[in-house]
Amino acid sequence: MADLTEIEAMIERALPGAEVEVIDEGGGDHLRAIVAAPQFDELKRIDQHRAVRNAVRERFDDGSIHALTIETTVLGSS
Amino acid sequence: MAADPDLTAKVERAIADNPVLLFMKGTPEAPRCGFSLRVVGVLGQLGVDYGAIDVLPALQPLREVTSELSDWPTFPQLYVNGELVGGCDIVEELLESGELAEMLGVEQPADAAPPEAERILPGGSQQSPPMPLG
Repeated sequence: MADLTEIEAMIERALPGAEVEVIDEGGGDHLRAIVAAPQFDELKRIDQHRAVRNAVRERFDDGSIHALTIETTVLGSS
Repeated sequence: MAADPDLTAKVERAIADNPVLLFMKGTPEAPRCGFSLRVVGVLGQLGVDYGAIDVLPALQPLREVTSELSDWPTFPQLYVNGELVGGCDIVEELLESGELAEMLGVEQPADAAPPEAERILPGGSQQSPPMPLG
């Protein structure tokens, strides 16, 4: 069971200035993270996803997240 | 746990030898996971030749290898010209945006969209046979 507020804070810490929303898609451990970050501007899609996943890696490792769907957009672009 | 160096070498060689390489669960003809099926469907729509490796016989060792090589622990994984492009979500996004067709040097299909179930029945596209890793 993941603490959604904590997960959002972890992503925000890794990507300062990002707008982050984490949604429980089932069971409390299948999550969706919707992240708009200014840092994504210079990153390939895979690196955007890596940045988000690595920000919450500890919660994968301890089992509180089982699956994480990631949606990324560049903050500031339309 | 550190990845098996022999397996790492085999994976590196497979990635180097195949301009388009898909690590998937099952085979292009018989995908064993919905996400792998969707990536097979995307590659079928684009009509590209690709190598495919079934990760199921060595799932955990391969996970360790790709975690180290590519910082990516889940399958499927699509590599183009030696670089990890992404898993199912990214591959579908890049199909829709046209970036994947550009990367692969093929025409963007007119109806590029995440495939419907009936359009991704295996066998319709130009697929390489699955490659043994050994």
